Amino acid sequence: MLKKLYHQFASPKTYVVLVNKMYPYIFYFSLCIYTIALVWGLAYAPADYMQGNSFRIMYLHVPASFLSQSLYLVMAIAAAVFLVWKVKLAAYMIKSIAPIGALVTFIALVSGSIWGIPTWGTWWQWDARITSTLILFIMYLGLISLHGSFTNFEKADKFISVLVLVGFVNIPIIKKSVDWWSTLHQPASITLTNKPSIDPSMLYPLFFSMIGFSGLIICLVILSSKVQIFNREGNKSWVKDHV
Amino acid sequence: MFDLFKLELFKLRKKLRAWLGPILVFLLITISFPLTVELASDDLKNVFYSILWIASLLTVMVSVEGIFLEDYEDGTLENFSVANDSLFSMVLIKIFIYWLLIGIPISLLGTFFSVSMTGEMSSFYIALPSMLISTYIFINLFALGNSLSLNKGSVLGALITMPLLFPILILLGKIVLNANFGFEISNLLLLMLGVLLLIIVFIPFIISFIIRTHLE
Repeated sequence: MLKKLYHQFASPKTYVVLVNKMYPYIFYFSLCIYTIALVWGLAYAPADYMQGNSFRIMYLHVPASFLSQSLYLVMAIAAAVFLVWKVKLAAYMIKSIAPIGALVTFIALVSGSIWGIPTWGTWWQWDARITSTLILFIMYLGLISLHGSFTNFEKADKFISVLVLVGFVNIPIIKKSVDWWSTLHQPASITLTNKPSIDPSMLYPLFFSMIGFSGLIICLVILSSKVQIFNREGNKSWVKDHV
Repeated sequence: MFDLFKLELFKLRKKLRAWLGPILVFLLITISFPLTVELASDDLKNVFYSILWIASLLTVMVSVEGIFLEDYEDGTLENFSVANDSLFSMVLIKIFIYWLLIGIPISLLGTFFSVSMTGEMSSFYIALPSMLISTYIFINLFALGNSLSLNKGSVLGALITMPLLFPILILLGKIVLNANFGFEISNLLLLMLGVLLLIIVFIPFIISFIIRTHLE
């Protein structure tokens, strides 16, 4: 039963049917949540006692930084699934997530440096977290250009999965860079094990913004993966009915 | 195994530009560095090591760029992949020979330079082991990057390999930092050796998988 379900979901056709059904719900839900979070965070949350109003860029910066690493994790899982079980859908997912990961990392970098001007007095510092995020951005670009340089997509899928898995060694370092080195960037305020060090009046909108932003990015991933599937499976007969 | 070793050694030794060239490039980078800062300045001592790491990285990048290309074009790789499991050992030996003919000479040169630059014998114990280990790691990882971008040019190989070297460069920086403060560096060297041992086993395996995919 479980195996059948797994095989069914691994087929691009079932995926497209399911995703077509889910897409509007996810999109409007996360749009509402993110709007609520932004209104709450920008208008109603109190100003920070040290940073004033500039901390409010947090509601873009934190979700984007969180996703920049999580998307790589998703890609690594998909790469393992593709290499072990040869699930084609996983390879399409890697290809479609890579540009979005680059975009999200870019948003995190830009919003971080905008935030840095009023709080640190500098927009760029060669500090562990910033540098490692920049390297993550370059890794995404490397993945895209590696896949783009091959005309044989079956080979390119294998190469990109190998590179994603090898490059995964950098992710724990990026994640832990603020704890292992004493740097300008603050350590993580929200962890699974400790009580968050943010006041609830700022924390709740942050949680909402993380959920909403992730939902919007998931929508982007869905759209991009559909493009990928239709590109690669364009000659199959079922594609006609779902475009 | 030993025949394979002799064959690969012969192949690299015959191409003078492939192994002597990178060593000279390393020499030129290390020589040209003191020219760009004031020779008398004391700062040179502090930043010299980072130049050493970057110079060895660039040298390895230049030397490894065509590591599999010639064998790919003349069909040697195809022969090895058809023969049962010798592709793995062939890759392993190829990387080892690159380290033997390029990695060890540039480590010795770099050690010589660092001793003469800092004027202290203690830098011998910092530079030599860390350069020997790090060049081996660099060669392994650049070989991986260049096997991915086998016939697509070396820029792509460099682009996808450089981010993977990032943890090793941090470790090298930590070693110099600890040495400057007079702390123990053997624990960091052992950590790097452990990384190397993992890499020696896994990278040739991954590379042989990639090469098989290329030949499909």
